[in-house]
Amino acid sequence: MIRRDFSERDIHMAIDGELPADERAAYDAWLDANPEMKARSARFTADRTALRAAFAGVLDEPVPVRLRKVVFGETPVKAAASRSRWWLAAAAAVLVVAGGLGGYFAGIDRIGQENPAEDRLAEQAIAAHVVFAAEKRHAVEVPATDKDHLQTWLSNRVGLKLVAPDLTANGFQLIGGRLLPAGESKAAMLLYEDDKGERISLFVTAQSAQNAKGTYASAQDGPQAVYWLDKGYGCVVVGSLPSEQLAVVAKSAYGQLLAGLAS
Amino acid sequence: MHEKKAAILGEIPRLRRYARSLLRDRDAADDLVQDCLERALVRLDNWQTGESPRRWLFTIMHHLFIDQMRKVNRRGEATMLPLEAGEAVAQPAEQVESIASREIIEALQAISPDRRAALVMVAIEGFSYAEAANILGVPAGTLMSRIARGREELRGLLDDTARRRAIRIVEK
Repeated sequence: MIRRDFSERDIHMAIDGELPADERAAYDAWLDANPEMKARSARFTADRTALRAAFAGVLDEPVPVRLRKVVFGETPVKAAASRSRWWLAAAAAVLVVAGGLGGYFAGIDRIGQENPAEDRLAEQAIAAHVVFAAEKRHAVEVPATDKDHLQTWLSNRVGLKLVAPDLTANGFQLIGGRLLPAGESKAAMLLYEDDKGERISLFVTAQSAQNAKGTYASAQDGPQAVYWLDKGYGCVVVGSLPSEQLAVVAKSAYGQLLAGLAS
Repeated sequence: MHEKKAAILGEIPRLRRYARSLLRDRDAADDLVQDCLERALVRLDNWQTGESPRRWLFTIMHHLFIDQMRKVNRRGEATMLPLEAGEAVAQPAEQVESIASREIIEALQAISPDRRAALVMVAIEGFSYAEAANILGVPAGTLMSRIARGREELRGLLDDTARRRAIRIVEK
């Protein structure tokens, strides 16, 4: 038997069937002597099983007709570059997933570094959400029971006609709102809660110079922001919902907010 | 000629699985497979007799995928994605996925494309390190480090998801 030191690298080789057979016994003994490595090996092995299971069904799906047609030349073969719309979806998937996983990408591999104005606005909204959504008794200054006053007060302070969106169709009830600083101006924050206690917030400010929309997450594990900026106002919806769900709620909130501004 | 085409047809299910693991969205994945098949048929003569159709096709598809990912990154197109497009992509896949499957599929999408491809090639598609390195066009050492980092990144993301789930349960 070959005597040598093993390392984490060997865990991957063993899982992938690349470890020489005559080293296997020594490797197993090494694992037994290193509980931490053994646990790591077990986790990676379980992940591999889960990965294979997650995609196993694809092999049983019937081959789509359009692919079969390409092979048997029933449609003229064109240059492969002519369609290629899948990569847009690839780029989109990167963003959606990054959001869904608490902006993991934002931390490690952010695509593009421009758009500081949106980033700043989104960061302010996320910071406010992190601080106030966690408060039990002091989450808002003016409760939803005093909704008319809340809307008038915030509208006057922020300088926009604010109508608190009704998100009951999405399962969220207004708790109330507060006034916050936002850079050199002011922002209105409206807080909503669903029956499970999950909270989302709306952050609206009158200060914005450019048109933009997108999603943003500042930290791994942190809440995600969906923002719109237009001439004269910025709106950010922040929450820790799955990104698909947050996108739906945010869109509904933004649509109502816009209607309110114009009313 | 017909033999070659039959061999290509036989590889489609595996090409689709690889594409799905790279791209998640079913239609986008099939578009990638279609691009790959079209390119393969144009270059049918380049396919050496005796060369495995699988390796040949995977190489073509991998290059298509990586080239496009690089272009997308360079142009920074992902940064200004309209929300509608994001929503369209976020539609759940048609088949019923278990929560565990969904979590691991989503985590896989979040790791870097190079690592994702290396990991999938070996862990799902079952290529040897030598075959995978050849298809991806990288030295074996690079492949191994991508696999190791990819696995660690994937595990980290899954741990995060589990922790977030735990926090939600505690908060109820």
